Amino acid sequence: MAPPPATAVADAMNPPARPRDSQANIDIMAVTKGFHWPWLIALLFALAGVGLAAATLAWQTYEGLGVAGYQAPVFWGVYIITFVFWIGIGHAGTLISAILFLFRAKWRNAINRGAETMTVFAVLTAALFPLIHIGRLWKFYFLLPYPNQRYLWVNFKSPLLWDVFAVNTYLTISVLFFLVGLIPDIAIARDRAVGWKKVVYTILSAGWQGTGQQWKAHSRAVLHLSGLATPLVLSVHSIVSWDFAMSIVPGWHATIFAPYFVAGAIFGGFAMVVVVMVPVRRIFRLEPYITDYHFENMSRFILFTSLICGYAYGAEYFIAWYSAVEFEQTSFYQRAFGPYWFSTWCMIIFNVVMPQLLWIKKLRTNIPFLFVLCFFINLGMWFERYVIIITSLSREYIPAAWGLYIPSLVEMIVLTGSFCWFSMFFLLYLKMFPIIAISEVKELDIHARDHARDHAAHASGGAH
Amino acid sequence: MSELDRREFLKIVGLSAGAAAAAGCSDPAEKLIPYVIQPETITPGISVDYASTCLECSSGCGLHVKTREGRPIKLEGNPEHPINRGRLCARGQASLGRTYHPDRIAGPATRSSDGTLQPISWDDAKGKLAAKLGSDAGKTWILGGPVGPSLDGLLDQIVAATGIAGRLTYEAFGDHALLDASQQLFGAYAAPIFDLSGADLVLDFGSDFLDTGRSPVEHARQLSEGRDVAAKADGGARVIAIGPRQNLTASNADLWVTIRPGSEGVLALALAQAVANARGNAVVAAAAAGASKNAAIEASGIDAALFDKLVGKLSSAARAVAFPPSVAAATTAGRSDAAAVLLLNAAVGAIGTTVRYPAVDAKRTASLADVKALVGKMNAGQVDCLLIHDLNPVYSLPASLGFKDALAKVGLVVAFAPLADETTEKANLLLPDHTPAESWGDASPRPGVRSLVQPTIRPLFDTQAMADTLLAAAQAVGGEAAAALPAGSWKSVLQANWSGTSWRHALARGGEFGETATRGVALVEGLGGVQASAPKLAGSGDFTLIAFPHSFHGDGRGAALPWMQEIPDPVTKISWNSWAELSHGKAAELGVTFGDVVTIATESGSIDVSVFPRGGIPDDVVALPIGQGHTVGHYASMAGDEQSQPGVARGVNLADVLPVATDEAGGQAFLSTKATVTKTGRFRRLALSQWTDNQRKRGLAPEVSLYDLASSGGQEAGGMAHFLAASPASAEEHAAEGGEHAEGGEHAEGGHHFSGPPFEYDPGNDADPDQPYRWGMTIDNDKCTGCSACIAACYVENNVSIVGEQQAIKHREMTWLRIERYVGDGDDDASLDSERRPIPRGERLGENKVRHLPMLCQHCGAAPCEAVCPVIATYHNDEGINGMVYNRCVGTRYCANNCTYKVRRFNYFDYGRKNWPGLLGLMLNPDVTVRGQGVMEKCSFCVQRIEAARQPVKDVGKPIPDGAVKTACQQSCPSDAISFGNVRDKASAPVKRAEAAKSRAYAALQVLNTRSAVTYLAKVRREES
Repeated sequence: MAPPPATAVADAMNPPARPRDSQANIDIMAVTKGFHWPWLIALLFALAGVGLAAATLAWQTYEGLGVAGYQAPVFWGVYIITFVFWIGIGHAGTLISAILFLFRAKWRNAINRGAETMTVFAVLTAALFPLIHIGRLWKFYFLLPYPNQRYLWVNFKSPLLWDVFAVNTYLTISVLFFLVGLIPDIAIARDRAVGWKKVVYTILSAGWQGTGQQWKAHSRAVLHLSGLATPLVLSVHSIVSWDFAMSIVPGWHATIFAPYFVAGAIFGGFAMVVVVMVPVRRIFRLEPYITDYHFENMSRFILFTSLICGYAYGAEYFIAWYSAVEFEQTSFYQRAFGPYWFSTWCMIIFNVVMPQLLWIKKLRTNIPFLFVLCFFINLGMWFERYVIIITSLSREYIPAAWGLYIPSLVEMIVLTGSFCWFSMFFLLYLKMFPIIAISEVKELDIHARDHARDHAAHASGGAH
Repeated sequence: MSELDRREFLKIVGLSAGAAAAAGCSDPAEKLIPYVIQPETITPGISVDYASTCLECSSGCGLHVKTREGRPIKLEGNPEHPINRGRLCARGQASLGRTYHPDRIAGPATRSSDGTLQPISWDDAKGKLAAKLGSDAGKTWILGGPVGPSLDGLLDQIVAATGIAGRLTYEAFGDHALLDASQQLFGAYAAPIFDLSGADLVLDFGSDFLDTGRSPVEHARQLSEGRDVAAKADGGARVIAIGPRQNLTASNADLWVTIRPGSEGVLALALAQAVANARGNAVVAAAAAGASKNAAIEASGIDAALFDKLVGKLSSAARAVAFPPSVAAATTAGRSDAAAVLLLNAAVGAIGTTVRYPAVDAKRTASLADVKALVGKMNAGQVDCLLIHDLNPVYSLPASLGFKDALAKVGLVVAFAPLADETTEKANLLLPDHTPAESWGDASPRPGVRSLVQPTIRPLFDTQAMADTLLAAAQAVGGEAAAALPAGSWKSVLQANWSGTSWRHALARGGEFGETATRGVALVEGLGGVQASAPKLAGSGDFTLIAFPHSFHGDGRGAALPWMQEIPDPVTKISWNSWAELSHGKAAELGVTFGDVVTIATESGSIDVSVFPRGGIPDDVVALPIGQGHTVGHYASMAGDEQSQPGVARGVNLADVLPVATDEAGGQAFLSTKATVTKTGRFRRLALSQWTDNQRKRGLAPEVSLYDLASSGGQEAGGMAHFLAASPASAEEHAAEGGEHAEGGEHAEGGHHFSGPPFEYDPGNDADPDQPYRWGMTIDNDKCTGCSACIAACYVENNVSIVGEQQAIKHREMTWLRIERYVGDGDDDASLDSERRPIPRGERLGENKVRHLPMLCQHCGAAPCEAVCPVIATYHNDEGINGMVYNRCVGTRYCANNCTYKVRRFNYFDYGRKNWPGLLGLMLNPDVTVRGQGVMEKCSFCVQRIEAARQPVKDVGKPIPDGAVKTACQQSCPSDAISFGNVRDKASAPVKRAEAAKSRAYAALQVLNTRSAVTYLAKVRREES
């Protein structure tokens, strides 16, 4: 290891009046500084939405779950749909951070922080929904295997219990991963902060000095956490999918569900990254860091996972037909042509048909188009869960008990509130921590510089 | 140290804040107060049963009133009672709710001039009444419903002693036409007793004898015995329902003959003539000489082949019986219709065998014509005081009669009703009576059968028995009147009337049940020809209005009972409101579909009601149930609805559109008007509990033909083979049909042609191997009529919540047991795409493929619900019962999603707390937990009854004997369709029953291998229609 520059020790002992900053530091930290009208308006909207949803939920808790639109035989509704939706959104972050890290896809560095942030807040949002869904949220601790004098224990056969563990594990690892990655950048924020903020950042930066040893430990930690997080990307949504696949409900009981859900989650997650990062990049002028190249790479991912989803949709219908089981056939016929045809065709058009436009390179780098497309993909992914949950439940084994579910206003408010809740955290984050991993972007610069130097050396060597 | 230091202070603050918070969170504390002096007969926790009599309708079924700690909590049939033999219908089950009803009138009151009620004391009230009787007895009338013989006698005495001008006993659904016809034909003014035991052919001319008929529990029981395929090799009695609308009887019939409304009499007479000729009964033939086959075919719209088929069946039947028309088919020619049917009974030789006349004549009661005369007197100012008891004339009399206006001209209107209704709203003086559960009384459903009514709870409110009130008032008049009256109370009068018997014995048994004294009758000498004529229909609409009695509402009184609103109508599966049945064709022509509001107008008035299109009704008919449309009452009106609207009617009252039409005997002719139906463009959703009647070939309620059953080789078939040998013709006929089977025709799923794996697992395996018990059930779909008595019994036994119309529309009903009604195995999927609720579509005129499937928790051995519950709130117990731990349930509702039978119910609101207004909570069964908000619930196989049966035998170390546990549904079932017991015991009733009928035993959705504990026995199709 090269010794630190001679000035480093002097700087540490006598900080200069004005920190020496790289352009990246200045640009990226600018997001947290100053005043941005769009940001404030968005935050106010988000706060209003959260407040309304909180009041609605308080009312629901007081009155009972009946204020939601549940109608037998559909016992799961918008809350579970939204839970699965947000868990799905929470996939792209870890995929980008962990898997692409392990694959050394360096282009990820510009977007990984945004994606990780999104993951953490998405999972936090998702984790609320099981509580909202059961109505009596104070009973939630029953789902945890805690020792008690009544020898009550949980049912490890139930996929819902696996779900509790899967989501909690995922949340823990995501938060750890996110926080560890954030440390060097918090240190940058610390160096620029004054007053009480400085105290907070100092604590959060955990004594980061940027020494070689610290960098070494940090990169090892990231590597190991990546290794831990990678299987989780696959496991969480697989387990969420087993909530359905392990049941006996026609339309749910399918072996394809785990890969189908994981692909769908990555698909929806990437779409959400695009939806979130496009306005952030525009408002905070981050075009030099998040370039069209990044969006194009994400588009490729979206196109690829869209094909997997399309295959899964097709496979479901094929198997329903091929099985010759009347229950399955009716369930799928009703999906496409029953009272919920609308949601099914939304799902197919938004998730499979529209992304095919990404075969065209011009559209892959057309940011407004991507934004609109990804918005629809997110809608389509929400409808995918709607189709799976609602249409299947409404057409089960006993025709006499068939029914129809229509979400109530309460559920729509809470659904909207979940987006506001997510946005609120994201917006607050924007003003507190760098949205782009500064150190990793610099790493890219260094890498590029080294690369150029090697090229130059090579070129000059060649000239010999 | 006396001063409070900081630490101490913080401790106290912390403790009190914590205590306050903890107290605020927990449920409110309630106290259990023990008896200071324990009554001798009461052991807390042990129920005490008292014998009594059901007064909900005039059938007079015997009751066992189950009381706990002095409170009646459940009614069950009295096994010794000859009418119901331990069974009880849905209305009977629900009738206990009257005692705890939120509509109870708390005490005597007068209505002041501004219309508000002022409570008064009983002394003042009786004083007022006595003063009126003293001064104006000559202008006083009593108008009441039917009462028991003792009370009837006492009232007559009071009328005679005080000089009251008159007393009318009026029953809206009275049988005047039949009584008159009996007089005309046989010289016996009595209601014939129809006995189906031993009958081999039952014709119903629109009396709906299984549902709203003259004695439905008795007839359902007799028919069930008479159609037991295990005992009757040939399938037992055949039922032919004749009428325009597919009612519950037609749904259960082997043959449904669709005729034009009102043509029952003409058809019956022609049949009587043809059968009499065929059987060589010259007397009947002569009496029916006026009939003509062609005229009958013309009038009824059936084809000649069908007519001949009916004649053939009637001619060859050994014991046939025909039920004369009742309410839904009561025309202006009611007496001649009844006479024609009685003549048909005479033609088939039923008179004296299956149709017998009691030895004593019936007392003449008031008809609509008599009430009309009274209204005339009221309008003329000749009535100054009207005493109204056991009747709600303001609601039930045709509005065009003008009773309500006439009532305003009466000086003093006294109402004795225990529950507020439309009539008590108009009364000046309210003298609330006890409810039957608080009353003494008696009933005599037929000569030789006397039944007692005894109180089982001290009156909950400041009420007094009507008999006591009147007796006291009459005695207070003094003078001759008092002297002519019996001294003492109503109870002593009653006791005196029962003086010939052991009072204690009668109280213990529930009455005196002797042989019914009957008399032999014959057609009256010199009987002129019986003439049948087409009924007169008022007005000129395109539709004939059929007003049929609602299965649970009777003449409207049932509408007050929440269970009778909540349990769906057995035919349409609609609850909580009125509906108008139109044929699909006519509905399409009018441009209306399910839930669209139409205006139904007659010359007498018009009503707006939602449409229910169905196949089981002809094009030119609009049919509506009688019983809804109350403007008073917590449940009967919209007062107790979610959007509480006091004074707004729930549904429509048919009295608003029915004309004042009577038959020859003065009884009300309900089938008496034409109507126009016009679309309003409005939509009002109805609570329809069943989405579709198409079972989509899923084998849920399969059917097996008699032929398949006979050739399948089960135990039942032993007799069948004999039957086949005895009738080679029919065997050939069936063999021909067997050829059709091979082509995969409509019989494809019948009998052992069930799709899916054979039914060969033993539900007895699915419990702890060391346990002697595995509880299981066998349900015979061939016996189930769909009457829904089991549902009512389950509601009351298990504290199942009533959720109300708005929640029922959202399918949030809490019922643990439902009866699914499938019509055939239809392929018509058109309805499934509808944005609005699809409608049952399998019904076709004249076709009868209805199957009823009681659906409850199957207590599966491999229960899908158990595996998915994350907290083990639902689990499999040692004895094979799928249990629910309510306190452990967090409400993920995964179990309900995974339940393949969809029998799990979720408490979306705090139904248990909110839905027992007033004192209704006192009726809750203390053995069953009242479920809280956010908790899943479902059928428990009446586990509390199992435990109750276990306790006594546990002490002596013996097993629970077979038959000791009767579930509430099983106990109530009039047709004995349900057997329950330990399926590990191969000699137990459910096992024996399933074994005996092995060839038609199946498990619902057995292809899923849930290993259910409920074995169904498929419906048997006796006739190829």
